[in-house]
Amino acid sequence: MFALTTLVAVSFSIGSFRIEESQRPFLYAVLLWIILVFSALSGLSRSFVKEQESGTMDILKLSARPQAVFLGKLFFNLSMLGVLELIIVPAFILLMGYKIKFPGCFVAMMVTGGLGLGAGTTLVAAMIAQANARGALFSALSFPLLLPLIITAIKGSERAAYGISAAGWPEVKIAAAYAIIMVTVSLLLFPLIWEE
Amino acid sequence: MCTLKVISIGKHFSSTILFKDVSFVLNSGDVVAITGWNGSGKSTMLRIIAGLVRPSAGQVEMFCDNKPIPKKARRQYVGMVAPALALYDELTALENMEFFCRVRGVAYDRKSCFNILERVDLVKHAEKICGTFSSGMKQRLKLVQALIHKPPFLLLDEPGCNLDSRGIKSVKNIISDQRTCGITVIASNEKREVDYADSIVNLSN
Repeated sequence: MFALTTLVAVSFSIGSFRIEESQRPFLYAVLLWIILVFSALSGLSRSFVKEQESGTMDILKLSARPQAVFLGKLFFNLSMLGVLELIIVPAFILLMGYKIKFPGCFVAMMVTGGLGLGAGTTLVAAMIAQANARGALFSALSFPLLLPLIITAIKGSERAAYGISAAGWPEVKIAAAYAIIMVTVSLLLFPLIWEE
Repeated sequence: MCTLKVISIGKHFSSTILFKDVSFVLNSGDVVAITGWNGSGKSTMLRIIAGLVRPSAGQVEMFCDNKPIPKKARRQYVGMVAPALALYDELTALENMEFFCRVRGVAYDRKSCFNILERVDLVKHAEKICGTFSSGMKQRLKLVQALIHKPPFLLLDEPGCNLDSRGIKSVKNIISDQRTCGITVIASNEKREVDYADSIVNLSN
């Protein structure tokens, strides 16, 4: 709902005519990733908090391997993010008249960016689950962790839309590397976070 | 043959000392009751044995067939029931069992799950959503969850909590059965539950 509301607000207030055509690929990429990142931050932070609030955290600690719990939560968050992107990205393109010269590269950027976003937010969600000021802490920890990915994803989406040489593939590779590093680090660190 | 060694365990939260230098050794067939005033650390002691909480001092060692059980592998050997442990309200009793079988790496067998449910008189409610269960029925399902992987170390924190006379009888039978295959640690001040035990560790002393 947050994503849809933001998308509608952006499309009504900016639309496809208020920005100069030469500026559109960059500004649209920024707006699209702002919508995706803040939607992810508002929704995915709850993946571990729900276990804590419903009292199932301890029983899960007693039953399952930490890595299995992390991967389960990661796949859930990635599925949610995948559905979100499937709804928001086409709607954004339609409403804003976003023209993309290299659609394949743009899709790859969305996929790898989504993977990185899902992996980063899942790790932070695990870290803040047992804290008191979860909301503030989630944003504070996510911001520095996700900033390199967000900058890369915006740049990659912009280059895919412009259709400039080499397109956004370097950014796609960086985002894919970010996702792989984040998942690997998470699998190593999560058992320490999971135990008291 | 399993052994549980609790060696000089102590626990404090900032300046509050819960207990210190608690030691005991249990072997297969033993049932011990941990008693003490409210806030003396009975539940915390069970959580330390289960590996959910780190002790401030001392250590817990578990052995099966004279082989030490690494801390990471303890979850396969420990079954625990406690008021603070909750099951998934959105799943049915049977779905909860299937979930815990799968995450524990135990092969899910509907028939054996029904056998365990029968032990706590929950067969009629197997397909009902847990959220609709009474507190007594939830307690019975927690017992089922703790027994699903046939653990040699059974930790029961106030096992008779919210149970009627039939439920209490089920707990008695479960503890009696556990004597043949493992160790039971009960945390309670209820005389009836303390009477199940062969020895008592009083944390108020």
